[in-house]
Amino acid sequence: MASHQGHLRNAGLPADMWAVSKGVALPSPPTAAQDERQRRFEAAYAAHHGPVFGYVLRRTSNPDDAADVIAETFLTAWRRLEDMPPEPQARLWLYGVARRVLANHHRGERRRWALADRLRADLAVYRAPEYTGELALIAEAFRGLPAADRELLALTAWEGLDHGQIAVVLGCSRNAVRIRLHRARKRLAAALARGQARSAHPGVSVPNGDLA
Amino acid sequence: MNQLSRITPVSDAEAARLVRPDTLAGLASDITATAVPAGSGRSRPARRRVLLIATPLAAAATAAVVATSIASPGHQHGSAIKDRPVVARSHPAPGHRTTRARVLSFVRHGGYIIVKVRDPLADPARYNDEFARHHLNIRLTMLPVSPSLVGTLVYMGSSQGASPVTPITARGRCYTGGGGSACPVGVRVPADFHGSEVLTFGRAARPGEQYESVAVSATAPGEVMHGMSIQGQTVAQVVAALRARHVSVARFNTSRNNIAVNLRHVPGRYYVYSALPWAPGQVILFVGPTRTQPAPPSPVRKGHDGIQPTASPAP
Repeated sequence: MASHQGHLRNAGLPADMWAVSKGVALPSPPTAAQDERQRRFEAAYAAHHGPVFGYVLRRTSNPDDAADVIAETFLTAWRRLEDMPPEPQARLWLYGVARRVLANHHRGERRRWALADRLRADLAVYRAPEYTGELALIAEAFRGLPAADRELLALTAWEGLDHGQIAVVLGCSRNAVRIRLHRARKRLAAALARGQARSAHPGVSVPNGDLA
Repeated sequence: MNQLSRITPVSDAEAARLVRPDTLAGLASDITATAVPAGSGRSRPARRRVLLIATPLAAAATAAVVATSIASPGHQHGSAIKDRPVVARSHPAPGHRTTRARVLSFVRHGGYIIVKVRDPLADPARYNDEFARHHLNIRLTMLPVSPSLVGTLVYMGSSQGASPVTPITARGRCYTGGGGSACPVGVRVPADFHGSEVLTFGRAARPGEQYESVAVSATAPGEVMHGMSIQGQTVAQVVAALRARHVSVARFNTSRNNIAVNLRHVPGRYYVYSALPWAPGQVILFVGPTRTQPAPPSPVRKGHDGIQPTASPAP
């Protein structure tokens, strides 16, 4: 990045020509490396925008937030493209980036990105579905789980990832995924059983999750 | 797991279908037109490629930036293409070129270093020099932001695991769409931090330069419409009030058949719903023909098997 040590000037040059004050001329056309970088981003974007849009929308009830998270996810990907692994790991890496952006949003560190404006307008029509009957019970049990459990279960059920792939997204070992997923499933089953019991006996109070 | 599959809120294909092709292409070209942090193997931003589908207004804004760059030789850090934040690290404003004052503040507190931007107008190379002097592998870039966000943290770019670098906030210092009044003004870095981090702070935009990150509303404190009441006001009324403040409308956004449309002109009797900063002295107004903003439409997607959408699908 030596070019940034000097000041860019274009005095006396056509509008699209730039030179560095220290005497090193910057080539006007993008270099092959720059082109390659852009091609790589565009290829990943074309291949994985659907999964990333889906990943974010499935975890965000507010389309406005989803637009900002999607924009920031791809902006991060562009800026950290050197960290992006080759296929078939790129999609998992993008999930990991989106997960961290979402976590920041949930912590309140959100920004409204101007470059998400068009996306925000398009996504405004989206509404997360509401469920009835048995599906409502499943949804309620799921929502009541700790966030880490929800993410593990969702990566399995919604993104269709296996243990090894989840390990890449979460940055932990495959064995840790297996153990945590086992526990998460048990907690989901317990929560579901409690919900079904409540549903069958609506008048019975269920303090602290123990069947009364 | 089958149970959870049945409550998949939206499939990848459905999510992708929500976004129009020009939006999709526009986002990619907007992103690749932004600067890349120093050290990432790229010396200047790529020019916009054919993916760009610019609206006529965007083209007009581009022309304005070119004109500004050419007309004022002391400020040609701009490029011929709008949205190129390379300007953020090209060179400092003339008045800052010779100053020796520190551009960042580093305060040790417990086992942490609190880093804030003292001078949001300095050459970013100087920020990076100061980080290096503190033996921190932190790269900093600047983006043009609306006035109330100047000097605040707009972006943290860690993509490798959970970062120990965390934002510090000053409540009420600025207002953002997601963060509300919790305004990030700096970062807290563990004194023994050995990882790498990319930070982006907001800097003032030059005349005609479009903001990359904006406050929650153009009426927020510190923004050009602060103190103005726009609720229930017509476009004619708001534009007249803006004219008195020497603020222009860069574009009007309205919704037609549930699709956002950018317009150069709208009827003066239309109502203004909200306003966002766009560029120095320019805002974007969200408008429509009814006094109150219509409720968002019902879902366009069909329910999955067993799922009852809350309202009937949009026509």
